[in-house]
Amino acid sequence: MSRFLFLSLPLAGHVNPMAAVSRTLVQQGHEVAWAGSESFLRPLLADDTTVYPIGLRLHRGQSDLGMTATRSRWEGYIVPHCRFTRPAVEQAVQAYRPDVMVVDQHAVAGALVAHRHGLRWASAAPTSMELTRPYRALPKVESWIHGQLAAMWTAAGLSGTPPHDLRFSPHLVIAFSSKALTGTAPLPENVEFVGAAVAGRPPGADFPWERLDPGRRHVLVTMGTLSMDIAKDFYERMVAALRSLGDRLQAIVVAPEGTVADPPEHVMVFPQVPMLDLLPRLDAVVSHGGLNTVCETLSHDVPLVIAPIKGDQPINAAQVAAAGAGIRVRYVRATPEELRTAVLAVLDDPTYRAAAARVGESLRAAGGASAAARHLALLAQPVSSLRQTELRTTDA
Amino acid sequence: MNELFAEIVALLRDVTGEDAEWMAGIQPATTLDGDLMLESVELTALSAALQRRYGPGVDLAGYVAGLDIDQIIGLTVGEVAEYVAAHGIRAGEVVG
Repeated sequence: MSRFLFLSLPLAGHVNPMAAVSRTLVQQGHEVAWAGSESFLRPLLADDTTVYPIGLRLHRGQSDLGMTATRSRWEGYIVPHCRFTRPAVEQAVQAYRPDVMVVDQHAVAGALVAHRHGLRWASAAPTSMELTRPYRALPKVESWIHGQLAAMWTAAGLSGTPPHDLRFSPHLVIAFSSKALTGTAPLPENVEFVGAAVAGRPPGADFPWERLDPGRRHVLVTMGTLSMDIAKDFYERMVAALRSLGDRLQAIVVAPEGTVADPPEHVMVFPQVPMLDLLPRLDAVVSHGGLNTVCETLSHDVPLVIAPIKGDQPINAAQVAAAGAGIRVRYVRATPEELRTAVLAVLDDPTYRAAAARVGESLRAAGGASAAARHLALLAQPVSSLRQTELRTTDA
Repeated sequence: MNELFAEIVALLRDVTGEDAEWMAGIQPATTLDGDLMLESVELTALSAALQRRYGPGVDLAGYVAGLDIDQIIGLTVGEVAEYVAAHGIRAGEVVG
């Protein structure tokens, strides 16, 4: 049995799949600890998981879009998170002495500390943002990101330059996605695709199942946790798009109370829903395209309409559209007519559901949290002489 | 240049599906990323529309690919017009 130390960001979309892997490792008898915010992590982790505390520091709101969002993700989030968490991660490693660290691609402190201690470590990609080099067509943006990583390396007191891209462990990269989605995008050779990791997630909210009419089709609208004004605007356009379709569908809209004024009978609004219980009963999902939502939806063979907002969402939307498993619409500007056309297309054209089933099959076959746990347990095993040489070289 | 600017604003309206009121608010200093919230698919469509109209020498996507992150964030409609003026042809004449 081995000891694993996990490090992610205090963001549900990042932590949820990694927490599923953490729980699976604990169930298999391994020891797992996390470095992070106790109050944020505790509800997501198995009871006997140690949490080495890092204060939950609030970062500047992530309200930007486009390239501005990319700059603020690094300057306003990833870099400060690294600076703020590195001493605590260092202490956690010294106290816990893990065999393997599991490090979110955006939690760069974990990569730095693993290097300093010569530890084996795995990168985790709970989003698609860094996995497929999305800025390869913008070389100066890529080099700017490498500059940020090099500055973090230097700030940690490490000499020279990073020996490799710190977002990618040379030992193992776990991607919560599928090659059926990433397609032909360039990838490091040590990427293991595990699909959606949802095992052991606590049950979600109650739901009035009796309100679902078996004679109509069911569309879930979920745009993640947003505070931007344009989120309300999108919901208004979406409800307008669905208003005339009460004869054939019911819509379940996940939104804060008051977001949708006077919804028609067939549009039900809830602040939260038990997504995993609902998915088997859905015919389509309208989403912002977060990777967890996309993979969980496709794992149930359900096609998507994606209105990507920022981060990896445009990447996921493009991947889903390329796989034929859904339609990308514009978040800021799609008209109710465009939205209605897209929803009706994924409902009525069987090729979308067939493509969703193809991707879904690959996601289910990828093995989820237990496959990730298997790869991590292998990485933690005493290394063969060949592997040891390789590791020593890397860690030197 | 003013005429060219107006043409480019009209092309922006076409690729975004926006209206005359939206067009009227666009100034040379308006940024594509922050102000217009142009999505990558819309930028690609604009690039193609500019090339159709002003010739193969106009490659906005290629121009953007050579910019650094601050330049991409700061890219204005006026700068696009200047780029087109420097590289485009219209009805056999140099645009600018």
